[in-house]
Amino acid sequence: MKRTLILTLAVCALLASAIFAFADIPRPKSTPVQGKTILYSGLTVTSDPKGYEARLQISQGTLKHLQEAAANSGDGGSMVQRVMHSSTRTIMAGTFMFLAISFAGIWFARSAERRNNKAIAAVFLVAIVFGLATVIVRANAGPPGYIRWQNLPQSLMDGKETAGGVQIELVPGDDNMKLIIPLRKTKGPGEE
Amino acid sequence: MERAEKINIGVWREPRVGTRTHVNARAFAAILIGSACVSAALATWLPLQVSIVSVFLFAGPHNWFEARYFLTRLPARFGRSRNFFMVAFSGIGLLTLAYILLPALYYANIWSGANWPNAIAGWNTLMILWIGALVLMRGRQKANRDWFWVLPVAFALCALNWLAPELFSLAIVYVHPLVALWFLDRHLRRTKPEWLKTYRRCLAVLPLLLAGILWQLSRTPSLADDNGLFWRITQHAGADLLPNISSHLLVSTHVFLEMLHYGVWIAALPLIGATGAIWRVKSIPIASHSRGFPKLIGVFLICGLVAVAALWFGFSANYTLTRDVYFAVAMAHVLAEAPFLLRMI
Repeated sequence: MKRTLILTLAVCALLASAIFAFADIPRPKSTPVQGKTILYSGLTVTSDPKGYEARLQISQGTLKHLQEAAANSGDGGSMVQRVMHSSTRTIMAGTFMFLAISFAGIWFARSAERRNNKAIAAVFLVAIVFGLATVIVRANAGPPGYIRWQNLPQSLMDGKETAGGVQIELVPGDDNMKLIIPLRKTKGPGEE
Repeated sequence: MERAEKINIGVWREPRVGTRTHVNARAFAAILIGSACVSAALATWLPLQVSIVSVFLFAGPHNWFEARYFLTRLPARFGRSRNFFMVAFSGIGLLTLAYILLPALYYANIWSGANWPNAIAGWNTLMILWIGALVLMRGRQKANRDWFWVLPVAFALCALNWLAPELFSLAIVYVHPLVALWFLDRHLRRTKPEWLKTYRRCLAVLPLLLAGILWQLSRTPSLADDNGLFWRITQHAGADLLPNISSHLLVSTHVFLEMLHYGVWIAALPLIGATGAIWRVKSIPIASHSRGFPKLIGVFLICGLVAVAALWFGFSANYTLTRDVYFAVAMAHVLAEAPFLLRMI
């Protein structure tokens, strides 16, 4: 009886400590809120050897575009984002795309008997043109944005301008404006 | 030979009676190009004002002319086209009803408007499948034509529609006025083939005018939509869906296309005698046929004129509300164009 009582008390104490331990579980780390891109603009970073304060100059035109973009940003992001967040529409679009390709195949097979070689050649030509266009477009895609900022430290030291694209993001809160420059660590000569 | 002698040649000439006109091809082309240029200039200069005035003046009458034209194209006896017309009229009725019900349920607080894009996408899908069915049925009536390709095209359109239903609906708003030009093309081919070449050359001016509007207005500031009516007009033209494009450009383009649409139905087709003398009910086959319905057609056309007058009265009393109601109900005439155009292909 005594052993049972002691065992029961021990279990209760253990459970109680578990409650306290659970209460001490730290709050989950709040993930930083991702800013929503509302506008893509240009940014020039330069140095001013005589200046006392850093300045972020925004033209009136850019500010107007920024205001318009901010006003229009309440609909939940770009079309791609909206589609990605709507599973129903994605499923329906996929289903109909599947049906379109399937029936195109049936049509192609049905017309095999009276197939017009010119029509087939035209279809293949269009497909090749689209394929080539895709390759060309991909090949002509500009370099990633961070390349333009790669020489920023050296340019700043030399007092030269560096220009590149900048995404203007809306983030919650009332913090100061932050200019985040994508700079990759470059390995110096002899470094591994 | 005996049977050939009994053929009444007068029957073959009859459709041409209504097509007589004193206008030659050059004058026709000049009128078309001149009207298009004036429309483009007005739409660019005063888009909102011209939109208000043109809808007020022409929205009702162009529907009446269109209805009369469709009656003229309606066979006195459906014959083997019976199923085609059954599907056509059922689709027009049900799709129009559904189109009107969506905002009606919202304004009646029965539906919160949640999943609005999905509802629009569903309606668009039904419309595409309905038109696809009509195309297939029409294709079966034509010998040596395999229109099975319409199925993959329709399904691909459905897929695009589900990706961006609101943009798809906006595309319908811009494409619909151009359908009138297709009607004119088909009608010229039947009644005045000698004008067809001239007409198609005139159509080449259209992309030039659109490019001119784009060039002129692409960098202009958006229109001030600071009152309910102006806001509705810019929204109708897609200002909300395309925020990075100047609403001035959108409204001007839409107004220009709408004016072309009105011009074809109210001026061009009657000019070439497509609808016959508008007061002659007997020029409508379904009324002139021995087993036709002349009184019913006459009453229908008179009711149509009363509706046009009522629309003018409504615009005068409350323009904004009447415009909203009109553009919801007018979906019927947009849908009706599909089967009647198919009948001409």
